[in-house]
Amino acid sequence: MTATAASVDRPSVMGRLRPVSARRPALHPSSLRSWLLLAPLLIFLSLGFLIPLLRMVQLSVYDPTLRDLLPATAPAITSWSGEGLPGDPVYRALAQDLKAATEAQTIGIVATRLNTEISGIRSVVMRTARRLDGLATAAPRDWFTAQDPQWADIGTWRAIARLTQAITPSHYLAALDLTYDENGALAQREPNRRIHRALFLRTLAISAVVTLLCILLGYPVACVLTTVRPALRSYLFLLVLLPFWTSLLVRTTAWIVLLQSQGVINDALVGLGLITNDGRMSLIYNMTGTIVTMTHILLPFFILPLYSVMASIPPSYMQAALSLGARPAFAFRRVYLPCTLPGVAAGGLLVFILAIGYYVTPALVGGQSGQMISNVIAFHMQSSLNWGLASALGVLLFALIGVFFMLYSRLAGLATSDWISGS
Amino acid sequence: METQEIIAVPAVHVQDRAASKRRRSAGGDPTPHMADAPFLSLREIEKSYDGINLVVKRLCLDVRRGEFLTLLGPSGSGKTTLLMILAGFEQPTHGVIELAGRDLTRTPPFKRDIGMVFQNYALFPHMTVAENIAFPLIARRTPKIEIAARVARALGMIKLEGLGGRRPAQLSGGQQQRVALARALVYEPAIVLMDEPLGALDKQLREHMQVEIKNLHHELGLTVIYVTHDQDEALAMSDRVAVFSGGIVEQVDIPKRIYEEPQTRFVAGFVGENNLLTGMVVSAASAATPCRVRVGASEVLAMAAAPLDEGQAVTLVLRPERIVLAPYPGQVPQTHQATITDVSYFGDRVRLRCCLFGRDDFSVKIANLAALSGLAAGQQVALGWLPQDCRALSV
Amino acid sequence: MTLLRIEDTRGLWRGLLIAVSTAVFVFLIAPILVIIPLSFNAEPYFTFTPGMLRLQSQAFSLRWYEGFFQEPRWLVATGNSLFVATASTVLATMLGTMAALGLRDERLPGRRAIRGLILAPMIVPIIITAAGTYMVFSVVGLVDSLTGLVIAHTVLGVPFVVVTVSASLTGFDQTLERAGLILGAPPFLVFRRITLPLILPGVMAGAVLAFVSSLDEVVVALFITPSPQFYTVPRQMWSGLREQISPTILAVATLWIVLSTCLLVTLLMLRRYAERLRAGAPAQ
Repeated sequence: MTATAASVDRPSVMGRLRPVSARRPALHPSSLRSWLLLAPLLIFLSLGFLIPLLRMVQLSVYDPTLRDLLPATAPAITSWSGEGLPGDPVYRALAQDLKAATEAQTIGIVATRLNTEISGIRSVVMRTARRLDGLATAAPRDWFTAQDPQWADIGTWRAIARLTQAITPSHYLAALDLTYDENGALAQREPNRRIHRALFLRTLAISAVVTLLCILLGYPVACVLTTVRPALRSYLFLLVLLPFWTSLLVRTTAWIVLLQSQGVINDALVGLGLITNDGRMSLIYNMTGTIVTMTHILLPFFILPLYSVMASIPPSYMQAALSLGARPAFAFRRVYLPCTLPGVAAGGLLVFILAIGYYVTPALVGGQSGQMISNVIAFHMQSSLNWGLASALGVLLFALIGVFFMLYSRLAGLATSDWISGS
Repeated sequence: METQEIIAVPAVHVQDRAASKRRRSAGGDPTPHMADAPFLSLREIEKSYDGINLVVKRLCLDVRRGEFLTLLGPSGSGKTTLLMILAGFEQPTHGVIELAGRDLTRTPPFKRDIGMVFQNYALFPHMTVAENIAFPLIARRTPKIEIAARVARALGMIKLEGLGGRRPAQLSGGQQQRVALARALVYEPAIVLMDEPLGALDKQLREHMQVEIKNLHHELGLTVIYVTHDQDEALAMSDRVAVFSGGIVEQVDIPKRIYEEPQTRFVAGFVGENNLLTGMVVSAASAATPCRVRVGASEVLAMAAAPLDEGQAVTLVLRPERIVLAPYPGQVPQTHQATITDVSYFGDRVRLRCCLFGRDDFSVKIANLAALSGLAAGQQVALGWLPQDCRALSV
Repeated sequence: MTLLRIEDTRGLWRGLLIAVSTAVFVFLIAPILVIIPLSFNAEPYFTFTPGMLRLQSQAFSLRWYEGFFQEPRWLVATGNSLFVATASTVLATMLGTMAALGLRDERLPGRRAIRGLILAPMIVPIIITAAGTYMVFSVVGLVDSLTGLVIAHTVLGVPFVVVTVSASLTGFDQTLERAGLILGAPPFLVFRRITLPLILPGVMAGAVLAFVSSLDEVVVALFITPSPQFYTVPRQMWSGLREQISPTILAVATLWIVLSTCLLVTLLMLRRYAERLRAGAPAQ
C-alpha cells in the first residue's frame, strides 16, 4: 500500500491488526434488517396472493379429474396407437372404471367431464353404466358398440385419451374457441360454441370506447382545472374527487336509478315531452349501460394524472407561442397538445387496463350484451363449475393485462420526464 | 418533558466531570493535559464501496484525550467517510478502531458513547428544544429528575434558557446549531464528532460560533474531532490538523507547522495560498539545511524539508506574504526582478501577480501600507525572501 | 399555475371549453347527488314522484333509513363489514409499514420485483384474485368465514399503505435516524420516537385508504362468503341490486356517501398535517 509521508509508522501496530473482513465489501448489515422487515408481508402475500395465482395457473393445465376417476382406463389407453379402435383390454378397463364410478357415485362427474369435449356423450355414458351388469367379458368392444355407436367412434376415443391425461391444453383451447377435430388436429369450434374470442374482442372494444370517452371528456376538464383560480380549483377538484371516493356499488346504483326505463332520465324525457311513454329508451342492462357507467367511474382515473402532467407544463411555452404570432388554436395544436400527449397516453392506458378487468359494473348493468371477460370467468367458477376453463381464461386475461401494463410503465416514465416539466 | 421546573438536585448525584477537567487544565495551557497513550486509535482503516476503489486507504491516526483534532480536506477526500466510520454508520472494510482500550469496530452506533453534531443539525422537528436535548438521556434511562437538571444546565451553557419549549423551526440557524451542540454534549460522551457544523451559517455568526465551540472545548475538556473544508477554521480552532487527500492523511501536525512547514505538495497547495515552483536540486543537502535549486534559468536558495540529492526534482513552496518587496541591501540574500501583471486591493492587504520564473501568476501579498500606493501593472519590482521561507519538497 | 390567462383565449374556444367542462362536471357529480333525495322517497320507487318534485313534505320519509337500522340482515352486514375492515386495516397497516421501511434499502437485491409483487393486487383484475383465492381457500377451509375475508382484504389493502408510507419516507430525512442512533437510542427506540411520529400521516392515510377499500370490496366477498350470516354491506347491496331491489339500498348508498365524504376530508386534513410536520425541520 502507498506509504504516506505522514502516516504514523508504528511497527508494533502490525502485530495487533485484526482486519474486519477481507478486501471485499461485506454484506451490508442493513440488508438483513430490510429482509426481516419485508418477510412477514412476503409470507402473507405468498399465502394470500401468489399461491392463489399459481393454483389458477395449475388448474388451467392440470386436471387429474378423469385420470383419478378412471384409474384403469387412463394407463390402458396410453398404449393405444391412435389408429383404429382401441383393443379389448381398454374397453374392459373402461367397464371396470365405470362400474367403480357408479358405486362411488362419481359417474355423474365422469359423464359431465367427458361431455365438455365429446358432445352428447353424457347420456351415453350414463346409459351404458347402468347396463354394465350385462357385459360379456369376452368381447367388451362389441358389447360397448352395441350399446351405442359412439363407442366405436375414433374421435370419441381420441378425446378420452386426451381427457385422461393430467396435463392438458384443453382449457386453453376452449378459452380460445379451438378444439380437436375427429382427426386429432386443431380446429375451430362450431360457430354456436364460439363465444370466448368474441368475448375478448367485446371486452377490448368496450374498454377502448370507454377510454376514448374518458379522453374526450376528461381532457377539457383537466385543462380547466389548470387554468382557474386556486380557490375555484379546490371546489372543482372536489367534484372530481368525490365520485372517485364514493363506493363503486353506490355509483353503479346511482346509474341504475338514472338509466332504468322507469328511472330518472327516462321520466324526465317523458315529462319534457321528448319521448313518449312507450318509447322509453333502453339505457341499461345492455352495452350502453356498461359504457356509460364505466366512463363515469373511470373518468377521475384519467383526469387526475393528466392534471398533474398539465400542471407541470410551464405556462411560458404557450405564452411564447402566442407572442410569436400564433393563433390560439394553432398554438394549442402545435405546442400544448404534444406536451400533454404522454400524459394522455399514460392516463388512457391506465383507464384501458382497469377497464379490461372490470367485473362489478358489467355484472350489474351489463345485461347480456354488456358482459365482459371477467363475468364469464365468474360464471365458470360459480355456475358451470368448470374451474379449469375459468383458470385458463383468467391466465389469458392476466397475460393481456401484463402486456398493456408493461406498455404503461414505459409511458408513465415518459409522462413525468424532465423535458416536459422543463426542470 | 417539563424543563421549566428546575428541581433542586443534591450536588452529590450529578457528576461534574466538567469541573474536574477545568481544575486539571487551570493553567490556561492551549494544549490541555494529555495522557501518553492515545485515547482514540485508528489503525489501518480501509473503506471501499465497490471492492475496487478505496475511499479511505490504509489510514492510521491517533487522537489524544482532550485534543481538538480537525480533519481538513477537499470534498471527496475521505474525511467525511472517516467520520461516518468513527460514528459507526459505515463499516470499514479493513482496520481497527480503539477508544480508551475498547475495540469499537463492530460496535453499533448507539453503544459507542460518541457525540455527534451533524451538518444540518438533525434536530427532531416534532420535539421541543428541551425534548431534543433530553432525548439521549431518555435513551440512557437517566432518572427524570436528573434529566430535568441536566437539560436546564445544558440550556444555560448554550445561553438559550427559557427557549426550551420552542420547536426547532422557531429558532434561528445559530440557535439551532447551539441546540445540536448541547444535545451532543449533555450526556458527556468520550468523544465528540462535528461534521462541518458551521457550514450553513454566515461569516460573522460562524466566527462567533468558532469561539464558542473552542470555549466549550476548554471548559469541558472534550475530545473533539472536527471535519471542515475551511482552512481558516481548521487553523484557528485546532490543536492538530490532519490534512486529507484522496483517502489518505497527507500530514498531521499542529496548525503552525501545517501552514509553515508543509510536508507534501498537496498540503502546500491546499492550505493557504502558495507559490509552487518546480525545480531541480543543484547542490545536495540534508534536512533543514539550505540548498540551491535551479528554477528555469535562475538559481534559488531554499531550505530542504528532507534530505535531497543533487539532480532531484523538487517543488519549491513560497508563501506570498513572506516575499519582501524591494528589499533593502542585506535584507535578503537574493533578489529577483519581476514585472507586475496585476494588482488586487483587498482592503487590509494588496496582492500582486508578477511575472517571474516564466510564470505570470507569481503571487505576492503585502500589507496595505501607504508607501506602497502607486503600484501598477507593468512596473518592474525587485522581490526577495529568506531561504527559510522557501521550502524544497521532494515531488 | 395557469396555462393561458383567460383573457388570452378567444371567446369561442373559451366558451366551448367551459361548456364541455361544465357538462362533464355535472356528469360526474349528478348521479351521486341524485341518490340522496331519492333515499327519502316515501314511495318505494326509484324515481322522483310528483309529490317530491313539488317539495311536498309528505312525499318524503325516513322509512328506508328505519328499515336499514331495523332489519337484522343490514345490521349483521354492518357488523361484519366493520369487523373485517378494522381487522384487515390493522394487519395491512402493520405489514405495509414494515415493508415500506424494508424497501428503503436501495442495495436490496430484487427490490423492484418485490415492490411490483406488493403492488400487483392493485393492477391484477379483481376477478382473478377472487377466483384464485377461492380456489385455494376452499381447500384449506377458509371459505365461508370472516377470517378468510380478512386475509384477502389485507392483501388488497397493503398496496395503499405501502404507497403512502413510501411517499412519506422519501420526504423523511434519514439523518434524523442517524442522530437518534448516535445519541444512544437503539434502533427500535429510534423508530418509535423519531421515525414513526414523522411518518404517521402517511401511515394513517394508508390506513384510511385500506379501510375504505375493504368497506367497498364486493367481488372477493361474493366468492369467499356465500352464507348470508357473513355478508358484508356491499355483499348485501349486491343481492339487493341483483335480486330484490328495495329502496333501502338508496338509504345505504346515501349513508355511504356521507361516510366517504368524511373520510375524504380526513385524508385531506392528514395531508395538511404532514406538511406542517415536515415544515418543522430546519431550513437548509
